[in-house]
Amino acid sequence: MFDQFLFVGLPYVAILSLVVGSVVRYKIRAFSYSSLSTQFLEDRWLAWASMPWHIGIIIILLGHILAFSVPGLWSALVSVPVFLFSVEALGVLAAVLSLLGLVILLIRRFVDARLQAVTSHLDVVVLLILIFQVSTGLAVALHHRWGAAWAPGALGPYIHSIFLLQPDASFVKEMPPFVKLHIASAWVLIMFFPFTRLVHALSVPLHYFVRSPQKVVWSSSRAQVRFEEKIQFDNEKRLFLKAAVGAGASAALLSLGVLDKFFRYFLKQDLTNAEESHILSQKLQRLKQSAAERELELERMNKDSIFVARLSELSSTRGKYFIDYQMRPALAFRDEGGLPILISAKCTHLGCTVGQDLDGQGRILCPCHISYFDIKTGQPSPGSPAKSPLPHLGWALKDEQGNLLMSQDPGGRREGAIGPSQTEKGLLFIVKRFS
Amino acid sequence: MDVRAHISMVFHLDKCIGCHTCSVSCKHTWTDRPGAEYMWWNNVETKPGTGYPTLWEDQLNYKGGWVLDKNRELKLRSQDKTDFFPKLFYNPNQPGLDDYYEPWTYRYQDLFDAPLSKDQPTAIPVSQITGEPIHIEAGPNWDDDLSGSPLYAENDPNFQSLTPDEKEMLFSVERISMMYLPRICNHCANPSCVASCPSGALYKRGEDGIVLVNQDKCRGWRACVTACPYKKVYYNWKTGKSEKCILCYPRVETGQPPACFHTCVGRIRYMGAMLYDAERIEEAMKAPQEGLVEAQRSVLLDPCDPEVIAQAQKNGISPGWIESAQRSPVFKYVCEWKLALPLHPEFRTLPMLYYVPPLLPVMGRSESNIYEHDADTVFTSIDKARLPMKYLAMLFSAGNIEPVREAMKKLLAVRFFQRSSTLGDIEPDRLKKILRDAGISEAQAQAIYALTALPGPEDRFMMPPIQREESIEGTSCSPDKCKGTCGLGKTEHPQRGL
Repeated sequence: MFDQFLFVGLPYVAILSLVVGSVVRYKIRAFSYSSLSTQFLEDRWLAWASMPWHIGIIIILLGHILAFSVPGLWSALVSVPVFLFSVEALGVLAAVLSLLGLVILLIRRFVDARLQAVTSHLDVVVLLILIFQVSTGLAVALHHRWGAAWAPGALGPYIHSIFLLQPDASFVKEMPPFVKLHIASAWVLIMFFPFTRLVHALSVPLHYFVRSPQKVVWSSSRAQVRFEEKIQFDNEKRLFLKAAVGAGASAALLSLGVLDKFFRYFLKQDLTNAEESHILSQKLQRLKQSAAERELELERMNKDSIFVARLSELSSTRGKYFIDYQMRPALAFRDEGGLPILISAKCTHLGCTVGQDLDGQGRILCPCHISYFDIKTGQPSPGSPAKSPLPHLGWALKDEQGNLLMSQDPGGRREGAIGPSQTEKGLLFIVKRFS
Repeated sequence: MDVRAHISMVFHLDKCIGCHTCSVSCKHTWTDRPGAEYMWWNNVETKPGTGYPTLWEDQLNYKGGWVLDKNRELKLRSQDKTDFFPKLFYNPNQPGLDDYYEPWTYRYQDLFDAPLSKDQPTAIPVSQITGEPIHIEAGPNWDDDLSGSPLYAENDPNFQSLTPDEKEMLFSVERISMMYLPRICNHCANPSCVASCPSGALYKRGEDGIVLVNQDKCRGWRACVTACPYKKVYYNWKTGKSEKCILCYPRVETGQPPACFHTCVGRIRYMGAMLYDAERIEEAMKAPQEGLVEAQRSVLLDPCDPEVIAQAQKNGISPGWIESAQRSPVFKYVCEWKLALPLHPEFRTLPMLYYVPPLLPVMGRSESNIYEHDADTVFTSIDKARLPMKYLAMLFSAGNIEPVREAMKKLLAVRFFQRSSTLGDIEPDRLKKILRDAGISEAQAQAIYALTALPGPEDRFMMPPIQREESIEGTSCSPDKCKGTCGLGKTEHPQRGL
């Protein structure tokens, strides 16, 4: 319920507040839009505070915007290890810079007497929220590494669901606390944005780059007669420029997709036969994979139970991967008694697939952030980043003729029993009613 | 030819007595508000001296005005498109409060509340920013009349072209000399503050050339404070907006001269319309340094020239404005007599405020109580003047001595002309020679004398006719939409944003 409030209700309140608040404030209190610079009163510390803060936060915001607005392109980029390493390093550096800047900004507010004359309570509140926001971001980056790689996939759908008006908090419900805090406080920040000094970020003077140097304003009608033509011409030019920029931007976005094909078409004209067949076979493989996936999905829709393995095939040290009814990866083991253990292989931390090999203590390992899970209880070992257990799956054992011998639901309640002779011949199924 | 009209000004420095009445009337009219206490839209400096804010003329430090780049194109010394962005966050060239001074008041209430004691109660100074007691280390006109002081006058940036000997001579006790330099916003025709404003809040009014800050558009990026080489745009620390001299436009629009002009005790200030060619500005401002004064004069147009009048009418300049320009004392001082010079033309902003350089005290000697001056060497005495010509040239003609010498010669010739007409002790032939050498006729000498020494307000202020009605009437968009709220004519309370 609280999650629903933080990740579905709050975002819409925040976005509404941002849009309406900024516009209304601009319309009725344009005078209050200002950077409210304090360099005039204090400029020794400001250089070491304002510069790192602004540079850091601009880098970070650009990263967030890119990763969540073009997740496909971004994921392709971060799949190159060198790029991923540089992005992570740059991100952490920028976060440290901006945090440093914020802390100095806050300290100088309290230390300098002149600054206190212009410091409002809200200034302090804004600085504290920003410090909290950057700190949680930094904590996520350090604690759950490779965020550039996992976040677009794990959190992108949530952001998109908000903007597509189909909010779905389930993407963030399972997230670790740092991530949840970071997201929730971002919405709080966005909600407060139009009522604070932060509005100066909306008036970043980018139009200065294209402006002519001098600005003359005419107001009399007589002068206007002469200048009307020029103004009209300017307006038309401006309209045209705006349209051109808009068209250019959308064309650029489109071309991002097209260019990929385009370049390949021109660059890879002289493919050898071998290369071509390699590409074709890869393509075929991908098609087959997706066909297999569809088949699996269909099978899971139609069948009440699905065959996993012969009981005799299962090992007690190396799990067998299979796909459960929700199309998620799962692992099948055999316990000492010869009975199966079925456990989800989707890490409860950030959704990586857990490895299949048991270690000496009967645990499986998620390689992404080193979480160990005991397969008997599903519980993560103390100190693992994952905090909730991997769920067990229910199963059914049948003989060759299809007669149900024994079953177990996800809670561990068993029905029926089998003798040791039957275990070798038993067939293991997962069952729809258990999932 | 793109003829435009401009309200322009002349300050006659020979008449300035340094009384600061102009500053006080401006302060009481416009800057007696929280956040603006430290601002002096009008201030009077003692030269040689460091000025206000301290060392404002040193553009290597403050990086204001325009320079010519490698291709001899005009470019802002700083704050242009290449470097303004990072400077939004922190501007290394922006003057801070300590470059002006920390404004203060006194705890007057203490005088009333002090308990009975043996000592006289005192009102201690408190900062107008923090409210805390302060130790006053600087204030407005801190170096007033302190010429010759090693702390202030010696650091005057205009001394850089003087040799050490000349400097030493200037500061020897017998020769110490000074002048007053009243300064307001120059309302430049090529303003670098307007060009530098990232938000486009600063603008020049087309009709009269007054440069204003649209307070609703200003975002406090402070580029203008740095870019104005005269340091005449100020940052209001309370509202987070920039402010500047508005040339008392509400007065000007009703046919009255600005407050500082009106109250000037020495009657040094002249105001009138000027016609100029906007198309020529860029080319003129690219002139080599020594030719800048002449180049600037070439932008100004003769309002009696029929071709100029025709073009002006075509551009919608009203007959009243043209007439005001024809009778303008400013045109006479600047173009006709070439007596008035722009302040620091090397900043290339084309200031529309001109100064008549101060003629120095008459050089003569007194022998057995009879005062004598050597009329034969009248013009060499200019070169041996107590304030070196080089120094004045640094102030008023970008280091080129010629325009200053020319003006000085004329001023001195008028002095001789006047002596001859009141005392009659100069032979007519010598007087003619002096006038010829100075390049003025007797009629001109008479006119210069009349406009310098005898003018009434109607001669000094040739105010062009009212523009307010004109500007509202028949405009296709309403003034507050077209112009925004400008200067201080605000309806919204100027409260600091959150």
